Amino acid sequence: MLETNFMGLKLKNPIIVSAGPWNGDGKKLRNNLKAGAGAVITETIVSDPYSKISEQVAYNGQGLQNIRFYSRFQLERWKEELKIAKSDGGIVITSISGHSPSEVTYLAKKLEKYGADAIEISLSSPLGEGVEVACSDQNFVYDIVKHVVENVKIPVMVKLSQHVNNISEVSKAAKNAGASAISAINTIRCILGVNIEKGVPLLPTYGGYSGAPIRPIALASVASIAQSVDIPICGVGGVENYENVIEYMMLGASAVQIGTALMLNGESVIGKIANDLEKWCTNKEISSIDEIRGKALEQIKPLDELSLQPMTCKCDDKVCKKDCNLCIEYCLENAIEFVNNKIKIDKLKCIGCGLCVHICPTNKLQIYDEN
Amino acid sequence: MDIREIAKKAGVSVATVSRVQNHPETVANATREKVQSVIDECHYTPNWFARGMNLGKAETIGIIVPDILNPSYMEIIKGIEDIMSESGYITVICDGSYSTEKEEESIDSLIKRNTDGLIIISSSISRKKLLSIKSKGIPIVSIGESNACKEIDTVKIDYEKASYKATKHLIDIGYDKIAMINGPKEKRENTLRLEGFKRALENSNINVENNYILHSQISLDEGYLLTKKLLKLKNPPRAIFATNDIFAFASMAALRDNDIKVPEDIAVIGFDNIQLSRMIESKLTTIINPLHKQGVLGARLLIDIINNQDSEDSFTQEILLETKIKIRKSCGYGNRIGEIF
Repeated sequence: MLETNFMGLKLKNPIIVSAGPWNGDGKKLRNNLKAGAGAVITETIVSDPYSKISEQVAYNGQGLQNIRFYSRFQLERWKEELKIAKSDGGIVITSISGHSPSEVTYLAKKLEKYGADAIEISLSSPLGEGVEVACSDQNFVYDIVKHVVENVKIPVMVKLSQHVNNISEVSKAAKNAGASAISAINTIRCILGVNIEKGVPLLPTYGGYSGAPIRPIALASVASIAQSVDIPICGVGGVENYENVIEYMMLGASAVQIGTALMLNGESVIGKIANDLEKWCTNKEISSIDEIRGKALEQIKPLDELSLQPMTCKCDDKVCKKDCNLCIEYCLENAIEFVNNKIKIDKLKCIGCGLCVHICPTNKLQIYDEN
Repeated sequence: MDIREIAKKAGVSVATVSRVQNHPETVANATREKVQSVIDECHYTPNWFARGMNLGKAETIGIIVPDILNPSYMEIIKGIEDIMSESGYITVICDGSYSTEKEEESIDSLIKRNTDGLIIISSSISRKKLLSIKSKGIPIVSIGESNACKEIDTVKIDYEKASYKATKHLIDIGYDKIAMINGPKEKRENTLRLEGFKRALENSNINVENNYILHSQISLDEGYLLTKKLLKLKNPPRAIFATNDIFAFASMAALRDNDIKVPEDIAVIGFDNIQLSRMIESKLTTIINPLHKQGVLGARLLIDIINNQDSEDSFTQEILLETKIKIRKSCGYGNRIGEIF
C-alpha cells in the first residue's frame, strides 16, 4: 500500500530520512532504516570537511536553527560507513555538496563505487554561503547536475532551496541537465532570535532554519516545482506526522524527507508516521499511496480566478455563550455583531476572508462557496 | 635484530616472517600469532627500504613545491598529508627554490628512490619532462597550473577568474588607480592572473598602466621593495592587488613604514586567504583559495592512479575548484554584500 517507485528505487514507504547528523554514520543510517524509513540519506559529504567548527543548535519551541556544516568524515571513511549502513539491506542515498562540477562529480563517482543507491546533490545549504545559495544560479545548477549525471549510472536528485528568485526555472535547469528527481526545500537562512538582555544573537552566526514553521513555505515550493517539471519531487521541511506526508504528496510530491522531527522526537517517529499513514490509507480504501499524488495541486487556482468562487461566512448554531467577542473585534469588515446573544452576520458586508473561522475558539463559524 | 633472527626465534622460515608482515592473510592463524608475538617482544621493525624493494613500492610519495617557506604551499601540503597519512603513505617534501632545474633534479631523485607517486605544486617543470615521467608509468598529479595540464591529472583554480574578481572588487568600491604585484611572468598561473586583472580594468574602461604592473619571485622582501617602487611613481596607485597574501603583508609593511594608512590611503587586496590573513592588521581582504582542499583532492587523484594503474578506465582528470572573495578591512568595508559568512 505504501510501496512506491521513487526515481527507479523501490521504496517500502515514501518516508526518507533526510541528510543530517542523525544520519552521520553507518550505524545511524542502519538504525533509521530499521526504524522503518523507506530510504535514508547520509549527512552531506564534502571534499574537505570543516573539522574545526562544532555543531550548534537553538530551538524556540517551534523551529530550530542549526549551525552544522557537513559530515566530518573524509570521503574515504564513507566506504566503510556505507557498508555498515547497507549491511541489513535498505536504500542509502548519499548527499554531497561542492562548488564546481568537477569537484561534485568526483564525490559522486567515488560514492557510487562505495555502493550508494542514488546521489542527492545539495546545492542549497544556507550555511557559510553568504546571501546567495549555490542554486540561485540556474546555469550553475545545470552545469553541476549535467556533469554528475554524465559520470554516474545511479539516479541523481537535486536539493533546492526557497532562497532563489525563481524556483521554477531552477527546477527546469535541474531536469534539463538530467536530474532524476528534485528535493525541496533545504533549511532557510535564519537568525532564530536575539538575547535582548545581552544584545547578542542566540547563535553567533546565520544558520539553517528547519521544523514545522518552514512547512508552509516548503509546501508552496513543492507545488510550484510540481507545476514546472514532470520529474519526481521529494518534499522536505517540517514533516512531523502522517498528515504532513499526505499534504506534500497531495501537492505533487512522490516522497518526503524527515529530519528535524527525528532530532526532536527520536527515531521512533519514523515508524509511527508510516503506521499512521498506512491506517489512513486503509480507512480511505486507498490501495496505493501513489493515488493521492497531486490531488490538491489540481485545486490550486490562479489569483484572478478567485472571483469565480465567492466565499462567505455562515454560522449554523447562532447561539454563542462564550463571551469572547473575538469574531466581532477581528472582523475586517465589521460584518459580525451580537444581537440577543446570537451571532448575526451581515452577508452584504462579509467578504468571506475566513479570519473569523480561524480565530473562533468554539469552531462555530464556517466558510462556504455561495454558489 | 633482523628478520633472520626473528625467524629463528619463532621457529619459522624468513619467508614466513615476511609474509606475516606483508600479507598476513596468507599465514595460518596460529603461526601468524606466534611470529607476531616474537616481533612484538623484540620490538622488531622492518627495514622499510628493503620492504619497499620486496613489495615493489615504497609507500612513499614525493611532493615538489616551489618554496617551502611560502605558507600557501604549506596549506596545500597539509591537505596532501592528511589524506596520505590516512592511506598509509609517508610524504617526502622537496623544495624547488623557484628553480626549474632544482625541481627536475628532485623529481629524478624521488624516482630513483622508488617513490610510488609524485605531486607537483605550481610547477615550472618542462612539458617534455612531465610527459616522459607519465610515459614511464610513474603516477603524477599537478596541483595548480603546470606545463602539461591537459595530459596529467590536475587540481587547480581558475586564476584568471579569481584575479578578475579581486580587481573588480576594488573597482566596485571606487578605485581606478590599481597596481598589481604579481609572481614571476614565466609561470602560467601568473599570466592568467594578469589577464584577469586586465580584463576587469578594460571592462570598466580603465586604462591599463604598465608601470602599475610589477613581477617578481614571491617573498616578503620582494613585496616590500616593489611596493616602495610603486610609491615612488609620479602618480602612485590608490589600491594594490597582491597576487599572494605574502606580497600583501609585505606591501602593508612598506606602506606603514611610509606613514601610509591601509585602507584609508591605499587599499590592499591579497590572494589565497592563508591563516595569517585574518590575524594581521589591517585584516586582509583576499581571495579564498581552497588550498587545503586542493591538497586533499590532489592526494586522492594520486592514490586513484596508484590503485588503478592497470585499469583500462583510467583517464586524465581535472578538478577545477571555485574561489570566493573574503572581505575584511584592508580595502575598507565598502560593498560587503559579496562577503561570505
